[in-house]
Amino acid sequence: MSGHLHIITQAIRDISLIFEKIGFAVASGPELETEFYNFDALNIPADHPARDMQDTFWIKTEKGEERKVLRTHTSSVQIRYMESIKDNPQPFKIIIPGKVYRNEATDVTHEAQFHQIEGLYVNQTTSMAELKGTLEFFFKEFLGPEAKVRFRPSYFAFVEPGVEVDVWWKDKWLEVFGAGIVHPNVIKSAGLDPALWQGFAFGGGIDRLVLLRYGIDDIRHLYSGDLRLINQF
Amino acid sequence: MKISHQWLQDYFVDTLPTPAKLADLFAVHLCEVEEIEEKNRDTIFDLKILPDRAHYLLSHLGVAREVSVLTGIALKPEAGILPKHNIVSEDLTGIKIDIKDTKLCRRYIAQTLTGVKVQASPDWLKQRLESLGQKSINNIVDVGNYVMFAVGQPIHVFDADKVKGEIIVRLAKSEEKITLLTGQEVALRETDLVIADTEGPLAIAGVKGGRRAEVTASTTNLIIEAANFEPTTIRKTSTRLNLRNDSSKRFENEITPALAALGMEKIVKLILELEPQVVLGSKNEIYPMPVRPWEVSVVPDKVTSLVGVTCSAEDITAILTKMGCLVKKVDESLTIIPPLDRLDIVIPEDIADEVGRVLGYDKLPAKLPAELLVKLLPDKVFFYSEMVKNVLVGRGYSETLLYALVPKGFYQIIYPLASDKSALRDNLLGKLEEALVLNARRADILSLPTIKIFEVSKVFRADGERMMFALGVLPVRKQKGVTAEAILKEDISTIENTLGISLQAKVITGEFGAVCEVDFDELVAGLPIQKDLTDLDFKPLPSDKKYLKFSLYPYIVRDVAVFVPEEVNEEVVHELIKSKATPLCIKSELFDIFTKDFGDGKKKSLAFRLIFQSFERTLEDKEVNEIMEVVYQELKANADWQIR
Repeated sequence: MSGHLHIITQAIRDISLIFEKIGFAVASGPELETEFYNFDALNIPADHPARDMQDTFWIKTEKGEERKVLRTHTSSVQIRYMESIKDNPQPFKIIIPGKVYRNEATDVTHEAQFHQIEGLYVNQTTSMAELKGTLEFFFKEFLGPEAKVRFRPSYFAFVEPGVEVDVWWKDKWLEVFGAGIVHPNVIKSAGLDPALWQGFAFGGGIDRLVLLRYGIDDIRHLYSGDLRLINQF
Repeated sequence: MKISHQWLQDYFVDTLPTPAKLADLFAVHLCEVEEIEEKNRDTIFDLKILPDRAHYLLSHLGVAREVSVLTGIALKPEAGILPKHNIVSEDLTGIKIDIKDTKLCRRYIAQTLTGVKVQASPDWLKQRLESLGQKSINNIVDVGNYVMFAVGQPIHVFDADKVKGEIIVRLAKSEEKITLLTGQEVALRETDLVIADTEGPLAIAGVKGGRRAEVTASTTNLIIEAANFEPTTIRKTSTRLNLRNDSSKRFENEITPALAALGMEKIVKLILELEPQVVLGSKNEIYPMPVRPWEVSVVPDKVTSLVGVTCSAEDITAILTKMGCLVKKVDESLTIIPPLDRLDIVIPEDIADEVGRVLGYDKLPAKLPAELLVKLLPDKVFFYSEMVKNVLVGRGYSETLLYALVPKGFYQIIYPLASDKSALRDNLLGKLEEALVLNARRADILSLPTIKIFEVSKVFRADGERMMFALGVLPVRKQKGVTAEAILKEDISTIENTLGISLQAKVITGEFGAVCEVDFDELVAGLPIQKDLTDLDFKPLPSDKKYLKFSLYPYIVRDVAVFVPEEVNEEVVHELIKSKATPLCIKSELFDIFTKDFGDGKKKSLAFRLIFQSFERTLEDKEVNEIMEVVYQELKANADWQIR
């Protein structure tokens, strides 16, 4: 008798394979991050509310040691990847599926650990129109040919312009990703020259897409190891 | 931010589009509209102002300027006054102002007024505030609030006769206290900025007024404050004291010090209109570092490359000019001077954002980026972990993703959600063993003879973060000659054969069956270079499945076995049982079948297992027994059937 891949793994596989078709390769990075990669390098100001104790799992460190956090988003891998190629930069497209953590009370729709997918494309120029083309390709493959993509103005410290990405799915608009052009400060923090390199990035939660798609009523079931859920898929 | 349609209309001569049309424009070009409410023959929009636009959009004037940009309808000239490219500090002979730290208080304007009569506000003013959900207090407090909602500058008003000596803007002293307007006494810290006089604190700067210089019914002389405070200080104080309000919110998001003068001008004008007898007193102002206009230079090609559609110098100039920017064309580039309150326009990307959203991101064409010359391979650990997962699923294992937060571990969380989630796990086995035991208890529901699970996840050890791989086996029913350890070892060797490398796995056995954990990072380091994901036979997400909810209440198991003539179809018997077992029977299966010769003919023994469970409550034995009795009766109704 065959076993079952966790539904989150199945989603990550589906997403990664679709992006591989248009040249995005899976990349990864640590879950236990430093403050620099999770916040500073992403242009998130030192006094930003997102850094507050109530939103982030801060880890006890020795005096003088750099502050550590459980990463609150996969965006930290953007910096690590760009840094790794800064001495010999080439255009690249990567996709980063991974586990992230938020220090918030759990309930049927909130969990302290969940999964995100992040995409990053860096080249001499990258545009909002290409971002839209990429996401439209992805959602049509992932949800079906009737899926449509809509951008709305938004704000995230690590992109400018920044947009909220909605998809038309099951007869309504659903907010799925944050996205935009990588902020020049972010490119610079990673050691690339923002005068020469541009990028677009997008990211969002995987769990919610899975919960909605299959009508799973409690996100906590995903992480309890309960085969009554896992073996349904 | 609540925005009144009528109030917006005040800034225009021409009639604005309907609320529904405006809401659409906001949603596409500006920000989310959280709610639209009809109230007092007005429409109130609740706009979710984005943090980078809060510098200028937390006001009706700010939103009216956007409406003008998006509709092309001109603002009334007198309404559209932007903060001036400002003037030097004045130091008139008014009340003395002493700012101790001009980084924390960048500007302070104090205006005295005499001969005020504190009374109820006129109806139009009451209505304006009430439509935004604000309670009317009195004419003086109300005009302050009105000006804040109109232009975005918080205003504070003191009873001038209760202020002793000079106005001092300083950090609080240790153990200093203030009684707020609400009567609440608050202990201040040395990081809190206060407005004080020679006797002590009068107000928490930008956050809340104090009782001592409160405007009351008997107040006749006022000191009006329009000031600018540093955002972080205000945020820390308002958050700590749980006093976040309309005033603190505006300072926290940063507003330009230039705005203070506009706020003062508006409130003085309004008070003089409402209370013509009032005499304008002296004004004093400290503004040591007046903000200066700044320039942003951008070439139209850069905007085009960011947005992805051609944006000419003319297009960009037209959009930015409508926003109040001064735009000069210098050779191929544009030099842009934003209005002083547009703190969000600093770099060329900000210009691209303004142009992109006004053109409409919804109208952007969708283009796929170019194919790249250098093709990257997927992450090696990812590739091999997915390969191992394929092997394991083929061997009957299911994948868990268990909690990374545990009671004990090398890395500890400073503020954990709960004491049993206060550290990062340093191994996968602890949680995996628990999951084996828990699932074994539900084996009947799962219809599994053996629980087989695995996980590939990070652990956090003294030597750092590692990707680990763990698997475990727990047989539910004893099977002759088969041990958990033997099953596990066989499966490990299958993985070893696939990868062509030894896992060096150490099998541990116990109540939980058999488990092992392997350092996957180390393992992968010794494997050959990875391939594309197409090599791994990934399937799309199943499109035909729907999650079936399961009950979290305990279940009850009952077996029933019956002898029937050989020719009776077992499905018929099964259907008969199901028809009487009620919906509380969530699962039933034929688990044993054999034939016996009774001399007078062969009979078949069929054994069924029935599982009862409720979504609402814990079932009792008694009620399940009653259901089973009905099932037995139904079976016995057939003369040649015998219950065993």
